Amino acid sequence: MSALTSLSMTEAADAVARGEVTSEALVEACLARIAAHDGGVNAVIRLDAEEARAAARAVDQARAAGKILGPLAGVPMMHKDMYYRAGKVSTCGSKIRKDFVPKVTATVLNRLDDAGAVDMGTLNMAEFAQNPTGHNAHFGHCHNPWSLPYCTGGSSSGSGASVAARFVFAALGSDTGGSIRLPATICGVTGLKGTQTRVPRTGVMPLSFSADNVGPLVRTARDAARFLKVTAGPCPKDPTSAKEPVPDYEAALTGSIAGLKIAVVEDWFLDGIDPEVLKTFEAALDVLKGLGASVTRIAVPEMAAIGTYTALVSRSEGAAIHANWMREYPQDYAVHLNARLYGGYSLPATFYIEALSRRGPLLRAFCERALTPYHLVATPTLRIKVPTLAETDIDVDPANWDRFMGVSANTRPFNYLGLPTLSVPCGFDSNGLPIGLQLSARPFAEARVLQAGDAFQRVTDWHKREPVL
Amino acid sequence: MEEPALVPPTMEQIARWQGVQLPNATARHGLGEMQGLIDAMAKLRGTMVFEDEPSSFEAALRDCKEQEA
Repeated sequence: MSALTSLSMTEAADAVARGEVTSEALVEACLARIAAHDGGVNAVIRLDAEEARAAARAVDQARAAGKILGPLAGVPMMHKDMYYRAGKVSTCGSKIRKDFVPKVTATVLNRLDDAGAVDMGTLNMAEFAQNPTGHNAHFGHCHNPWSLPYCTGGSSSGSGASVAARFVFAALGSDTGGSIRLPATICGVTGLKGTQTRVPRTGVMPLSFSADNVGPLVRTARDAARFLKVTAGPCPKDPTSAKEPVPDYEAALTGSIAGLKIAVVEDWFLDGIDPEVLKTFEAALDVLKGLGASVTRIAVPEMAAIGTYTALVSRSEGAAIHANWMREYPQDYAVHLNARLYGGYSLPATFYIEALSRRGPLLRAFCERALTPYHLVATPTLRIKVPTLAETDIDVDPANWDRFMGVSANTRPFNYLGLPTLSVPCGFDSNGLPIGLQLSARPFAEARVLQAGDAFQRVTDWHKREPVL
Repeated sequence: MEEPALVPPTMEQIARWQGVQLPNATARHGLGEMQGLIDAMAKLRGTMVFEDEPSSFEAALRDCKEQEA
């Protein structure tokens, strides 16, 4: 294992800034990892090796010339293949868009470029970001670096797998129902979904405009804090992007959470939970208590409504934007995707409008019950043990439908509620697959979840463990 | 397991209203799962009030920002 690729994103950026390592060395280390191991993992769709080397050289030359570097200068990253870069193919993980060349560049990619990040290319993903497992019929399934027969989680499958496999220091993912947090938990890395509207979505493939989020998969909460600082904030091209000030999230990472009040919502999030996952979750809560936080078990009777409505919004919006292709090229979608989209056409508009209209009142109710008396809500990110690719393959066997759809049960509610939510690794199951702890806070309180995640990672080492490839 | 009765007429409705044809057996299976959603929505009848509207979500996001717990 190369020591360089074991660095966190912020450690790598700081090492470049101090002149302790060159960006070129980081890029070469990452390229070597990819060359050696992506044959099994299948995380990469397009590798822009020469462009990355050139960008790294430019950073190293700028530093040598005494120029001020950006906060991510010289750090190799990749992005889920649904972030548009003008003139470059963005497949969206699909056959339908295998040759699609956008004319615009995503705002988040521009912001990462401006911060000095080195873009090495694009990553595998669920087709059109529409499954929670990482299956992809067109580019091949992405495989979990901890054990290749297991799923990576989706839809940002390549993002989770590439960060876990130490191919890159950070990867852009997207999250409409858990698509950052699921691959983060399942691959044993850290993932952050910000408050709905926190990060602009200009130049990002849409899935469900009410619930889509842009965010990072990284090694640590500190990495997520710096990444969010760079990418958050309003964009004039995305009128939905929030105008809230963007704080210095890293400044909140004091290591102290004494007095922090944490709620465990027992309805919904612990329903049918696997005993091993529950035991690990409780152990993670004990760690937080050991740091001075208090943990209280509560009930939120609105969870049934939240769970019902959350399933409606993205399916309705996703079906609508895919309707033309579903009429013209249904055979070009994977079986599981056109099966999922098809059901969306049966949903009455009145159901969809009701789901959107109840969103504000249910957010207020959830905050009143869980996030007024308490600072954070803690849940397991995934309530079952990590399934294999075969166990969740509905292209082969429709009987896997419930297991496939159930993967995102604990993540989807936070998309409906729009709350900032972080997933950090907190243990492993008896199959050697990671387990994640999910922390949510009030709108725009990303600093809260990052503070708790960072404190947790200061006294645990789950996020430092690396798969043997 | 027996297919829910809603499946054939819903397939017809999708074809008529949306012009989308059943793509595969998995889609047919998934359509059968919609009965659960219908049942769940039936339990929520009466909770939406006349003044509720989608834009209340953006207002709630701002109003629910963190204050001292």
